[in-house]
Amino acid sequence: MSAARNKAIDHLGRWLLLGLLLIYTVYNLGPILWLMISSLKGRADLFAMPPTWIFTPDLTGYQSVFGVGAARESASSFGVFDSLVNSVIVSSVGTTLAVLLGTLAGYVCSRFDFRGKGDFLFFVLSTRMLPPVAVLVFYHIMFAKLGLADTRTGLVLISVFANVGLATWIMKGFFDSVPREVEQIAIVSGYSRLYAFRHLVLPMVKGGIAATAGFCFIFAWNEFAFSSILTTTQAKTLPVKISTASGATGIEWTQICAAGVVLIIPVLIFFYLIRKHLLMGMTFGVLGRS
Amino acid sequence: MTDTALRPRSTGRLMIIGFLSPTVILLLFMVAYPIFSLIYYSFHNFSALRPNEPMTWAGLDNYTYLLSDNDIWARFVFTGKFVFLCVSMQMIVGIFVGYQLQKTFRGRDVLFTALMLPMMLSPVVAGFLWRYMLNSEWGVVNYLLTVVGMDKVDWLGQSTAALWAAAVVDTWMWTPFIVLLATAAFRGIPETIYEAAEVDGASPAYLFFRITLPMSAPVLFIALILRLIDSFKQYDLFFALTGGGPGSSTETVSFAVAKTAFSYFYTGEASALAMILLCIIMGLAMILVRHLSKMGEHD
Repeated sequence: MSAARNKAIDHLGRWLLLGLLLIYTVYNLGPILWLMISSLKGRADLFAMPPTWIFTPDLTGYQSVFGVGAARESASSFGVFDSLVNSVIVSSVGTTLAVLLGTLAGYVCSRFDFRGKGDFLFFVLSTRMLPPVAVLVFYHIMFAKLGLADTRTGLVLISVFANVGLATWIMKGFFDSVPREVEQIAIVSGYSRLYAFRHLVLPMVKGGIAATAGFCFIFAWNEFAFSSILTTTQAKTLPVKISTASGATGIEWTQICAAGVVLIIPVLIFFYLIRKHLLMGMTFGVLGRS
Repeated sequence: MTDTALRPRSTGRLMIIGFLSPTVILLLFMVAYPIFSLIYYSFHNFSALRPNEPMTWAGLDNYTYLLSDNDIWARFVFTGKFVFLCVSMQMIVGIFVGYQLQKTFRGRDVLFTALMLPMMLSPVVAGFLWRYMLNSEWGVVNYLLTVVGMDKVDWLGQSTAALWAAAVVDTWMWTPFIVLLATAAFRGIPETIYEAAEVDGASPAYLFFRITLPMSAPVLFIALILRLIDSFKQYDLFFALTGGGPGSSTETVSFAVAKTAFSYFYTGEASALAMILLCIIMGLAMILVRHLSKMGEHD
C-alpha cells in the first residue's frame, strides 16, 4: 500500500465525515428555519406543493397571536393573546420564586454539612425524573378541592415546584465555586453570616443567578403536561393553546407556526444568555465536576 | 468537608432551617404527598368524577387488571420500541457529532451553540412543527422524498411509520443533549494519551474505539440513563405529533395514564398504572445514582 493512496483514503474519509456533519446540521436547524419561513406564509403558500420559496409575507398568523388587526374579530382567531399573557405571567412569577428558593437551598447545601443532606439532594434530583402524569392524577383532584384548577396561581405553584430542584442544583454549583474564605473573613471581621451571604456571596454569583433564571424560564415557558391537564379555559398557557388550535377548518397552521415562533423567541434570547452553562443546566449539575 | 468556622452552630442551624424549609415543604407537599396518595388510590376503586363517594378497597385488583389487559401491554411494547429506537439513534448520532465537533475548525463554537437549540424548544412546538412537515400531502419531508425520486410516505397515518416519525422527532430534539455530554466527556480525556497512541501508529478508528469511547463511558452512561428515563415518560411529543394515533397505536404509557385518569376517570386504575411507570423510572434512577456515587469515589 502506497503512502499516496493512504493519503487519498484519509482525504476521502475526512470529506465523508464533513458531509455527514453537514447533513446533521441541516436536519438539526432546518426545521426551525422552516417554522420561521412558514409562519410568514398565507394559507395558499402554506399548503403549496411543491413548497414555495418566494412569496409575499402574510402576517395574519402573528396578528391573531397578538390579537391585533383583521384577525381580531375573525372566527379563526382563538384568543392566543390571552394565553400568551398567561404564559408570560406564569413563567416569570414561577421563575422568580423558584430561583429565590433554589438560591437559598443551594447556598445551604453548598456551605453546610447537615444530616440528610445527601437524601435531600437526591430527593431534589428525583423531581427531574418524575413523570408528570403520575403526580397529575393527584393534582387534578387536589386542585379542584383547593379551587386552584384553571388558575394562574395554580400554574405558578406547579412551575415553582417543577423548577426548584433545577434551581437548587445549579445554584449549589455556582456557590461551590465561591471560596469559603469569603464568609470566614467576613465572620472574623465581625459581620454576621447572613450579612456575608447577602452582601458578599450573592453579588459574586449574580451571573449564576441569571443563568439559573434563564434555565427555569425556558422550562417553565415550555411546560405542557401540567398546564394541559390543569387548565380548561381561563389559565391556558401558549403551548396548551397551540395544542387545541384545531378549528372547524382543521388545524390552524398559520397561527400554530406564528405562535411557535413567538414561543421560540424568548427561548432564543435566554438560550443565548445561558449558553455557557448549558452542561450544568441540562444535567442538573450531575456532571458539575467536569 | 466543612471547616471549623462553617460548622453548623446556632446561627448556622437557624440558617439551614430558614433557607431550606420553604423548598422542603414545597417538595413534600408537591411530590411526597401526591405519591403516597397515588399508592393509596391504586389499591382502591375510585373515580375523580365522584370524589365524595367513599372509596372501596380493591386490593390488587387494579394491578391484576392492568397486567392482564392486552391494551396496556401494547402501550408498554410501543413505549419500549420507541425508547429503544430513539435512544439508540440519539446515542449513535450524538456520539458521532460530538466527536466531529472535537476537531477545531472555523465557526465551531457558533455551530455547537446553534446545534443545541432543538432541545430548548417546547415539545409541543416540536410536535406540531414536525406534524406540519410530515404531512403526507403537502409536507416538506415528502416533497424532499419526491425530489430524490422516492415515494411519498404516509408518516403519521400508519403505525410503523408513525413510530419511526416519533423516533426521528425525538432524536431531532435530544441528540444535542448527547452531543453536549459527549463533548464534555471527550474534553476530559488527556491529550497526552492520544499523542502517545499516535506515536505508536494507532489508526483513527483505533483511537476512537479503544481510547475515546472507553474513557468517556461513565459520562455517556449517564447520558444514556437520563435519555432512557426521559423518553420512557414521553407524553407531550405524542400529544402534539400523533395525538396517540393512528388508532391508539402511538400511545405511550404516560399517554395511557393521562387517558385513563382524565378521559375515563378511572382514577384507581390510572394510579396503579402510574405506580408501575414510576417504579420503572425509579429503577432507572437508582442505577443512575449508584453509578454517580461510584464515579464520585473514583475522583
